[in-house]
Amino acid sequence: MSARAVILRVAALLLLVAFVTAPQLFAFAFAPLTANDAPAIYNQGSLLALTLSHVRIVVLATLASTVLAVTLGIFVTRPGGREFLPLSRSLVNIGQTFPPIAVLAIAVPLVGFGEKPTFIALFLYGLLPIFENTLAGLTDVSPRTLEAARGMGMNARQRLWQVELPLALPVILAGIRLSVIISLGTATIGSTVAAKGLGEVIIAGLQSNNVAFILQGGLVVALLAVLIHDGLGLAERATARRLGRPVDEIA
Amino acid sequence: MIEIEHLSKRFGESIVVDDVSFTVGEGEIAVVVGTSGAGKSTLLRMINRLVVPDAGRVLIDGQDTATIPEDELRHRIGYVIQGYGLFPHRTVAENIATVPRLLGWDRRRIAARVEELLDLFQLDPGEFAQKFPHQLSGGQQQRVGVARALAAKPALLLMDEPFGALDPVIRGKAQDDLLAIQRRLGTTIVLVTHDMNEAFHLGSRIAVMDQARLVQYAKPADLLTHPAEAFVEQLVGTAERPFRLLSLASVQDAMEPGSAEGDPITVSATLREALAQLIWRGRSALPVADAAGAPIGRISVDGILKHGRSLA
Amino acid sequence: MNTISSRTTAPGMHTLRPHLHLDRLGSVIAGLMGLALFASPFVTYRANRIVSGEGRMLFDALPPAGALITIAVVLGVALCAVLAHRPLVRLAAASLGLCVIFPAVGFSAGFVTPAGNGFARVSPAIGFWLLALAFALLAADALTRLRLGPWGRLVALSIAAGALTLLLLSGAWGDLSLMKEYANRADSFWREARQHLWLAFGSMLAACLVGLPLGLASHRVPALRAALLQGLSIVQTIPSIALFGILIAPLGFLAANVPLAAALGIRGIGAAPAFIALFLYSLLPVVANTMAGLCQVPADVIEAARGMGMSRRQRLVQIELPLALPVILAGIRIVLVQNLGLATIAALIGGGGFGTFVFQGIGQTAIDLVLLGAIPTVALSFAAAIILDAVIDLTRRGAHDRD
Repeated sequence: MSARAVILRVAALLLLVAFVTAPQLFAFAFAPLTANDAPAIYNQGSLLALTLSHVRIVVLATLASTVLAVTLGIFVTRPGGREFLPLSRSLVNIGQTFPPIAVLAIAVPLVGFGEKPTFIALFLYGLLPIFENTLAGLTDVSPRTLEAARGMGMNARQRLWQVELPLALPVILAGIRLSVIISLGTATIGSTVAAKGLGEVIIAGLQSNNVAFILQGGLVVALLAVLIHDGLGLAERATARRLGRPVDEIA
Repeated sequence: MIEIEHLSKRFGESIVVDDVSFTVGEGEIAVVVGTSGAGKSTLLRMINRLVVPDAGRVLIDGQDTATIPEDELRHRIGYVIQGYGLFPHRTVAENIATVPRLLGWDRRRIAARVEELLDLFQLDPGEFAQKFPHQLSGGQQQRVGVARALAAKPALLLMDEPFGALDPVIRGKAQDDLLAIQRRLGTTIVLVTHDMNEAFHLGSRIAVMDQARLVQYAKPADLLTHPAEAFVEQLVGTAERPFRLLSLASVQDAMEPGSAEGDPITVSATLREALAQLIWRGRSALPVADAAGAPIGRISVDGILKHGRSLA
Repeated sequence: MNTISSRTTAPGMHTLRPHLHLDRLGSVIAGLMGLALFASPFVTYRANRIVSGEGRMLFDALPPAGALITIAVVLGVALCAVLAHRPLVRLAAASLGLCVIFPAVGFSAGFVTPAGNGFARVSPAIGFWLLALAFALLAADALTRLRLGPWGRLVALSIAAGALTLLLLSGAWGDLSLMKEYANRADSFWREARQHLWLAFGSMLAACLVGLPLGLASHRVPALRAALLQGLSIVQTIPSIALFGILIAPLGFLAANVPLAAALGIRGIGAAPAFIALFLYSLLPVVANTMAGLCQVPADVIEAARGMGMSRRQRLVQIELPLALPVILAGIRIVLVQNLGLATIAALIGGGGFGTFVFQGIGQTAIDLVLLGAIPTVALSFAAAIILDAVIDLTRRGAHDRD
């Protein structure tokens, strides 16, 4: 990583932290966007608390999706679950044509307003990329490597833990990263169903016609997403480098 | 000693291995040759039960392999495949340590064994132990593959086209290295190949397979002089036959007393090499020297031809 | 000599045992059907649009004969799922099931609603959705196993679409709450539909117009490549509402200060930021896939074309673009499915589209209104994905024929 890239990342992180902890320092930049003496900085709650609860729900939902998706991915690639493999591939394809907002909207009447429908939507939608990538990673392991593992007397569990999962890890991580990014966006929309999150700032701005709110909400969410995406990308590349296959920069 | 008794395997409608029996003595190299699809690999994979035979059994030192739990059996048998199947996420040292780790050796013993093997295969531990497979050349990968198979000191090594992915120059060297190591360790080897030169170079005995059947199992020279079927004759190559025979005999076998002009040939060289030297240098005879370089006799074109005729 | 010859007569190694193989996936699906049939309400009855409802089991939701027929059909399909192995049989069973429960739920609405009651609402309940899911799973699995070619998939899609249209036109669903919501806002429904399609397709077309030349340029100029892809992938990372929000500020400024922009209908809030955001999101897949498509054209093919004296332009039009087409189309598929979904969110900033109903529905906790927005969105993305996948297969086949 070049020195410039490191500086850029650190600067972006510092900017984000500074803004959510002491937003009033930046009031001068947003003031020109307001009219009729409206506040320039979001004042209906702490940005820091909103950011933390936004990140919290994304992390919890992603953890839950990861556990289930990886377990299912392992199950359908074992001899006992092979019958489910073709269907699960098509289901993932079909599932991804559902817009996340639809999942969110349908969950509301079932479980009510608040964190719950958001969590359900994040969890369900987050399953898809992780499951898809777990399948891709596990089915991509070279048959030669598996033959060697079997020939050396590794049993099924040893092959899974010592060979298949480590080799599939970078691809699974890429799925998790994709899932996190989608969840960050869906959690923003979650504010329309009263989940605590950064979407509140944008929605408050839309309701009171305050462009300053809309912009600062948008910027914080965007910066958060870009930094998290980038950080997970670094982790992914580090594991992939060990395997001698640099991951696609764009993936 | 491995005894293979009436092994048969069928996949769906097709018979892949049909009632094959042979015995490989302690410390021997048995090479299985044949056209592709003859059932060679399946036969090999039935020895470590990666393929379960439909009929027949395999005895290792008198013990039926079916009575040993599969994984335990495979821990005791080294296995090398074409392309080696090195674990891309593990270092060279970790790859070699695979079976010792499965067997629960203690860390110090594993480290010592890894170092010993790296030395044996002329891979400097300081340089190679922490490298990943993709950082190695094809020849180095091949050596790591064999080292990994030998890590837990198996009495038997199964090799399926172990040199298939190497270019001809490196392949020759790798074969010589394998022979040297095998002689030193006394490991029994069953090796599958479709390369006849490799078979004659390495094999103490050669098993010829054709369409799932074992056609002939014999010493290399016997295969040349007494082919069991037309197929064997065709496989060894009629035109190649005398030269293969010469390559199986050493200068010692046709050495005459006396002396000759020129650079000496060592007594351990094959007759084929000696004949090549004679033709190339345009001489009818050359002196023979022992391992220390002292002259002990001479070798002549006539002598080689006479010896060759007597073999046929 | 040590020759051991072998025999060709092998002992009878395989005997055929007659056995009944239970399909594991089918058993799960059948379990789902059982759950739906005997443990879940088929429809929900509400006295009016807003109050919470009460579930009605199948027997209370249909006249006895209708309920019996439905149960018999579902059990038959369940049996097929467990025992039948031929995909065609399973597909036929699943289709039969769908053809029974869809009209049944419409019929049930009429049956459950007291005569003359204009306020009562009947919606499909969990039991119906589970049955529909089970049949759809069975059909999807059968279709996957059938490995239909591109034309086969298009035909299957048209049959499904035709059946659905027929169902809606027949008025069999007229008593369902969903259709009542539709009837109340039929005009705005079609207006929002047009807006939705305009947002999704318009931004996609704009992205193609800009993205294809950009992709071509960055294929030719490696220096451009890294910067462009990095920039676009950052845009792609930004969540949709955030991007809408970021765009609202400059657009609002433009509208306030440039009369022409205001005259063109550009405002801070509304369709303009949504359109631009969708356009920006679409650029990455178009550019990246154009580049990837061009990169994977075999070097020897281009070499041969050069050797035959084709000009740069001829090579591009006759060789490179046709060979890159499947990959470029794959990018367009991603864009279209993504835009059809994201356009829903445009409603949040006043951009219209099916999202209007979704967000209204969320506001009123009216699930049927949510569904009125969500179902067409899902159906559109689903159809777009199937159609484009088929087209990609067809072009890929063409590219192979040319090899």
